[in-house]
Amino acid sequence: MRKVLSIILLVTLVLSLAACGTTTTTTAAPAATTAAAAETTAAPAETPAVEKIVLANNKVEIDEQLKAFAAEYSKTAGVTVEIATTGGGADYGGNLKAQLQSGNMPDIFVIEGPAGYDDWKDIIADLGDQPWAADTDYAYSVDGKTIGFPVAIEGYGMAYNKALLDKAGIDPKTLTNFNAYKAAFEKLDGMKADLGIDAVVSMAASTATGMTWVTGLHNFNIYLTAGLPYGDTTVIDKLLAGEVDEARLTQYAEYVNMLFQYADKEVLLNGNYDAQAQAFAAGKTVFLHQGNWVDPTLKTLEADFEMAYAPHAPFVEDTDGVLAAPPSWYVVNGDSAGAEEAKKFLNAIATTEAGHSYMVEAAGMIPAFKSVKLTPAVPLSKSIMEWASAGKTYSWQQYKMPSGFGMDTLGPIYEQLASGAVDTAGFVELIKGEVATVPDLLG
Amino acid sequence: MNNQGMKQNNRLVNALFLAPSLTAFILVVIIPFFMGLYFSLTDWNGAIQDKINFVGLKNFSVIFSDVKFHYSFLVTTVYTAANVIVINLVALTLAMMVTSNIKFRNFYRSGFFTPNLIGGIVLGYVWQFIFVNAIPGFAESMGIESLTSSLLGKGSTALAAIVIVGSWQYAGYIMMIYVAAIQNVPVSLLEAAQIDGANFLQRTRAILVPLVAPAFTVSTFLTLVNSFKQFDVNVSLTNGGPSGQFAGKVVKATEFLALNIYNTAFTRNRMAEGQAKAVVFFLVLVIVSLIQVYFNKKKEVEM
Amino acid sequence: MSPRRLNLLILEILTIILFIVFMMPFLMVVLNSAKDAKEIIADPIGFPSNWGTLLTNVKTIVTSPNINYVPSFISSIIITTLSLSLIALTAAMGGWVLVRSKTKTSTFIFMMFVAAMVIPFQVVMFPLVAFFRMIREFTHIPLLQTYQGMILAYIGFGSSLSIFMFHGFIKGIPLELEEAATIDGCTRPQIFFQIVLPILKPIFVTIVILNGIWVWNDYLLPLLILGTGGDIQTLPLAVANFVGSYVKKWDLILTSTMMAMLPAIILFIFAQKQIVRGMVEGSIK
Repeated sequence: MRKVLSIILLVTLVLSLAACGTTTTTTAAPAATTAAAAETTAAPAETPAVEKIVLANNKVEIDEQLKAFAAEYSKTAGVTVEIATTGGGADYGGNLKAQLQSGNMPDIFVIEGPAGYDDWKDIIADLGDQPWAADTDYAYSVDGKTIGFPVAIEGYGMAYNKALLDKAGIDPKTLTNFNAYKAAFEKLDGMKADLGIDAVVSMAASTATGMTWVTGLHNFNIYLTAGLPYGDTTVIDKLLAGEVDEARLTQYAEYVNMLFQYADKEVLLNGNYDAQAQAFAAGKTVFLHQGNWVDPTLKTLEADFEMAYAPHAPFVEDTDGVLAAPPSWYVVNGDSAGAEEAKKFLNAIATTEAGHSYMVEAAGMIPAFKSVKLTPAVPLSKSIMEWASAGKTYSWQQYKMPSGFGMDTLGPIYEQLASGAVDTAGFVELIKGEVATVPDLLG
Repeated sequence: MNNQGMKQNNRLVNALFLAPSLTAFILVVIIPFFMGLYFSLTDWNGAIQDKINFVGLKNFSVIFSDVKFHYSFLVTTVYTAANVIVINLVALTLAMMVTSNIKFRNFYRSGFFTPNLIGGIVLGYVWQFIFVNAIPGFAESMGIESLTSSLLGKGSTALAAIVIVGSWQYAGYIMMIYVAAIQNVPVSLLEAAQIDGANFLQRTRAILVPLVAPAFTVSTFLTLVNSFKQFDVNVSLTNGGPSGQFAGKVVKATEFLALNIYNTAFTRNRMAEGQAKAVVFFLVLVIVSLIQVYFNKKKEVEM
Repeated sequence: MSPRRLNLLILEILTIILFIVFMMPFLMVVLNSAKDAKEIIADPIGFPSNWGTLLTNVKTIVTSPNINYVPSFISSIIITTLSLSLIALTAAMGGWVLVRSKTKTSTFIFMMFVAAMVIPFQVVMFPLVAFFRMIREFTHIPLLQTYQGMILAYIGFGSSLSIFMFHGFIKGIPLELEEAATIDGCTRPQIFFQIVLPILKPIFVTIVILNGIWVWNDYLLPLLILGTGGDIQTLPLAVANFVGSYVKKWDLILTSTMMAMLPAIILFIFAQKQIVRGMVEGSIK
């Protein structure tokens, strides 16, 4: 009896400890691995202080290519670079916060603008001394300090189907102002049957299918920067103070309304990214309102016609340029033991041939570094690169808006205009009303 | 072993037995609950923050003047009401069917119950496909003009779509509760009534309805609370869309409360306001529960 | 045909129609899991031209690094089994103690468990994450993005209803049994493990099933504790993360949902009675 009793008591003790017991047993694990890491450091002379660094990637579309490059790099670098990718619709920032909280903060992660910088400024390392810093105009700098490695340049304008424009006798070079677009749209709309198109423009504005990033962020940025010198912040500064440039916004609203009017209604109101790309790829529309990231999708959809970008031109005055910028930057977690290794990895992307080949040939990205001599093989990326080399670009300021303001607050207003629930005057009023709340959101 | 020692020993065993569940419960529910009440009164931002400042009821005054929150509250209420009615009607119909004399009734019963085993996230994606691709595809091939565009594209129909999915998922479960109640009705009672010449409707009204009434109360509150907390299907089916207008503002037409709370905190990065909304959400559920307790008490008295 | 038989026939036909309507979504999933992306767009409702595509899609899901099906499946199994056994066992032990020791403290603790059933997850979710992070700062025990944190959370959230149900059941067990055992010289742990626990078997099964369906399908709690794209992912998280990317590949999405549903459905086929009874009992309590 005694024996049984003691066994049972032991069992209950173990069981009662189970809830917190699991925690204590596994706490030993990380300690053990770091110890193991420390041991191996001692062995070969050249081995770096860490065995593994983690890059938290937020671009699903380059996941495979980046992993391949990291694997190649890991073979010779003596450190394993792990790529952790978070899906496009998933909450990257929230996820990072959770990772910080759980003590698994990655060595390299992505910021998309000032909001990200503010969240992480305490741990972001200074990268000003890195060899690539002098090779780019697109690094993220704060107060003269370079902290962000431009992942790529992305850009958007009105992607056009060259063959269809030729057939209609429209020269894309003339599409630089509102009236030129208006005339072109009217003409194309009248030739629907001849051209075999369903509509002139393919764009999507549905909240339900998650397309508000196109309207509330990218399209809205036309209002914020089109026609202004690169990096000019007049309009965004006004917005952050709760005010709009009424004349500019009114003209812009007419432009948006025109795009919607000539857009394929089904795609506009119910379509998702795929539907939008598909209509253009199948030659059912002349224009596509998307950035150069759509290249791989168009390729899968077998869109083999000639295409390039024309500017977004909302005003009577000419706006001769596309909206291009690095949408995101890699930053290094300065608190991490792997910080030095992380810097080396970024350098390898920017300064080695393998890195250039990864960016341009494998991932199809537009590199932000002058020394890269390769050009993208895909047409829309190539077009953006040409506009960029000609210096005809307008900047991206949309990410300076408060969290979620573009997608969650402005996006649905575009959908209201698209569905005809409000007119342009109503659209302007609604935007004004929301912009007025911005200072509160920031305060 | 003397009596005193035994008692002490017993107390130790009691403590050891209770400790695991109680510890987990306190760590996971009780402490975060009180932290949450406190955070709703501060400028907490959830991320790295040196100092959390007490701001009183400011968050509450912000959310009470937030039109989008009002709308979420309203649309959640409408959804809940519709869901409670539809689910209970469907469930009761199904329950009558599978307790009748039809063939394969047990097979049907299991079939109707099956959707309940699948998580809302997964179901939402499946139904998104049905609403966006399958139904319009079907309508096009049959030439039904009115159904060729997605139900999810308009606010009112998108709301109806969530009710459809919610009912589909939940009706089989509620059906089982009714089935249990109906099976408790003594067969002899029904047979006696039948012999006495009572027709189907009379039998239903006189015998079934009173005996099924307690199940009805249970089902109503169960569907009410669950509909009010709807999140998973909401996220994966519509994610709050499409847009709509309410009180001069543009809102997301199907953003229910739970999703609104989540988006306030994470998408819009306003943690303390999200927390304040969650506290309001909690208070509403407390009121519902109190009403339920009142009903149950009343029922016990009557019985 | 007598009117009664006719009525029955009408009822049968109605039931069949409703049944088909109810099963339609499952049918859609299976049919379209056996098509490629183009075929789905072209014909979302018809039968697939080649059932072999089903295998290709399943293979893609299993091998795709973007969905991580196999690791997520294993994590889901680990989390579910450990959480369920620990919830049921700890709640049974706790419930028993709370019934048998009639002190003010135990009444208070029991009332606390019961009252907490009203608390919606939304009101504790943000502070829970913050609190887990604080625990790590002070004790160096990582809870976020770990199995232990996930399971601890499930024990905590599962304990209220489980203790309440065990409590109700144990109240009905006559005390005489335990008293007799005490006279025979059994200690309290022996009494629990050798006498009470076997009697609890039916309610134990009920509790495992009730919690099992919740834990297996849960989305929001794992999303907050494990995050997306982390090392540990559950199936609902993996599916949501996969579908959440902008590009809608319906062939793979539907195949992935099918594979996420399958385990629950298979289990249901084998344990129908217990599952139905368990869930109904859970609701009525």
